[in-house]
Amino acid sequence: MQELLDFARGPLFRLSFIIMILGLIRIFILDVYNAIKAYKRAGDKRLAWGDAIIKTLRWIFPIRSAFTRRPIYSVVSILFHIGLILVPIFLLAHIQLWKSGIGISWWSLPNNWAVMLTLMTIAGALALFLGRIGNKGARMLSRKQDYLWPLLLILPFISGYFCANTVLSPQAYQFTMLIHVLSGELILSLLPFTKIAHCVLVPLSQFIIALAWKFPAHVDDEICASLNKKGAPV
Amino acid sequence: MRTNVITSEEREKAFAPTKKPDVIERQKLDVRYHVEDYDVDNRPRRFLEAFAAILKHTNYRLALEHFIRVSTKCSRCAVQCPIYQATGDEHDIPCYRSELLLSVYRRHFTVGGSIKGRLTGSGHLTDEKIEEMAESFWNCTACRRCTLECPAGIDHALITHLGRFILSEIGISPRALVVSTREQLEGKTGNTSAIPLPALVDTLEFLEEDIKEEKGVDIKFPLDKENCEFIFIPAVSDFLMEAETLMGIAAVFKATGGSWTISTENYDAINYGLFYSDRILERVIRKLYAESERLNATNILIGECGHASRSAKYYVPVHCGGEKAKPVLNIMEYTYRMLKEGKLKLNPNVITETVTYHDPCNIARQGWIIEQPRYIIKAFCKNFVEMTPRGTENICCGGGGGTVSIDEIRPYRTLVGGKAKGDQIRATGAKYLIAPCANCKKQLRELVEDQKIDCEVVGLHDLIYKAIILDDGQTENQKTNRKG
Repeated sequence: MQELLDFARGPLFRLSFIIMILGLIRIFILDVYNAIKAYKRAGDKRLAWGDAIIKTLRWIFPIRSAFTRRPIYSVVSILFHIGLILVPIFLLAHIQLWKSGIGISWWSLPNNWAVMLTLMTIAGALALFLGRIGNKGARMLSRKQDYLWPLLLILPFISGYFCANTVLSPQAYQFTMLIHVLSGELILSLLPFTKIAHCVLVPLSQFIIALAWKFPAHVDDEICASLNKKGAPV
Repeated sequence: MRTNVITSEEREKAFAPTKKPDVIERQKLDVRYHVEDYDVDNRPRRFLEAFAAILKHTNYRLALEHFIRVSTKCSRCAVQCPIYQATGDEHDIPCYRSELLLSVYRRHFTVGGSIKGRLTGSGHLTDEKIEEMAESFWNCTACRRCTLECPAGIDHALITHLGRFILSEIGISPRALVVSTREQLEGKTGNTSAIPLPALVDTLEFLEEDIKEEKGVDIKFPLDKENCEFIFIPAVSDFLMEAETLMGIAAVFKATGGSWTISTENYDAINYGLFYSDRILERVIRKLYAESERLNATNILIGECGHASRSAKYYVPVHCGGEKAKPVLNIMEYTYRMLKEGKLKLNPNVITETVTYHDPCNIARQGWIIEQPRYIIKAFCKNFVEMTPRGTENICCGGGGGTVSIDEIRPYRTLVGGKAKGDQIRATGAKYLIAPCANCKKQLRELVEDQKIDCEVVGLHDLIYKAIILDDGQTENQKTNRKG
């Protein structure tokens, strides 16, 4: 068990982390590359940058919209995201691993905050999962990954909570820790290939929409030529 | 926004078939809007060819690539969609509608999707799916409210816009729009309402006489004057339906001494291309711009019309030279400027009834024209009440995205599309409903009639016409005239 855990914490972690980083860089760069291509083709190159920046900030910090539209769903979703982002990055135990591994460290969450955020994230994920099942519209739209993600995301949080806050026998601890590490690594390596890609792509959304509405100057001629419709009546 | 789901009786009325079974059989298309006969063979293949050509020559791939990655299927857009709120049918959720096209893109235009599709032998484009898109994309009024809500920032309206464009390339577009556009681009009259030039000239002379009679002032509608500051192009239907709006605009120019002209070769700013085809959009824009060049006007001024203003404002620069292109303004921007500069005087004692203002989606959603008309209204209307929500978050009249021109779907527009708007108008209790848009006006008049709401739908310049003070002697003139 200990060997397996060491393997999961060592090479397997490095692999999944690299997959995540490279995968996210790839999709981010693809988006930016497509955007530059579109910008070069656009007939009108004036973009409402300020407007897109304001909208993007509003999307990333959805404080205003949270209380005007679907308040319960929005607040739950926001709290869930806060925990989901903060805990893995700012947990003291994680930072210590980074420090012992490559010697870097940063500010960490006080322990009671981390516990609270962990519980909040678990509750949030369950609420979102139940909300999805309970909402007719959401059920109609949902794919398999939409149901699986909240369940997968709470695995490392639950196992991490038990490892850090309860007294477990050494075997139970190792087993729980193994689940914690493996589920975390599964999440990291799936991240760029599933809808969780939105974690790096959402900040680009408003710029991409603004650009997509900027058409190239000679759409008519070029599409007509492609479809053999030159001179065809309306 | 909360509105009740329609009753089963209303549903029956709104979704009643509009076509004979033999037409549906012949066209292999069971949708409520009428379509001209088209080649029904190999539809999926031709759809994919058109899709490929469009992807190759436009910027849509950028958006589609992004959207297929970020979509989280949360269904938040559902709370913003007036159509879904009225029907309660999950097929009307914007994200569901978008997925119809996104799934085709994923299956046929991405490497992963085509490998997966080939391995499982599923997901390819079928005739049924084309039919579902043809129905769904035209159920939407393209109001773009859903784009405000999507936490991932997906622009569902862009996808609907693209879906309609691809469908149009295989011949599936509402006949009402295609026939009008054909007349505008290839017909003798050169406008969507097929108004011949002599009829236009007669109408304008008639309006001039009317103004003289009512206001006692000589006001001309200048035709083909070169080197003016503004070439004024309204939605051509205004010449038939909105006499008071045009008289109001002429009066504003008279009062402010603006230099303007109407063109005899292109007096129609309607651009149905915005609703169904980027190719048509481009042609109409080029035609409009060519006329402004011929008369050497400094600015292009569009009348009270939402989609015509949006298409000119955003696509004149795209197709006619980028930032060097002539500026495009909406008439309300001009009137607002004149009022602010003190060149326009309005009598605050003429309009005493309750007035409300409907924001046309095409000029309000992006935050372009929201406060200007309100500034004007508040300057002379004593009892102005706002609708809730308003401005960028306004609710569509129910006839957006070109659907208002499709007469055969009127029950759908006024019972489903306009349901939320009807509730909103009723709540204001207004006597005058200002809707500065040719499409909104037509839709809202039908809406208040079908939903039995007691209010009069007018343009902003209709009310300005009633209250404008043309010069110091004018009030006296008016009095003398009335006595006479």
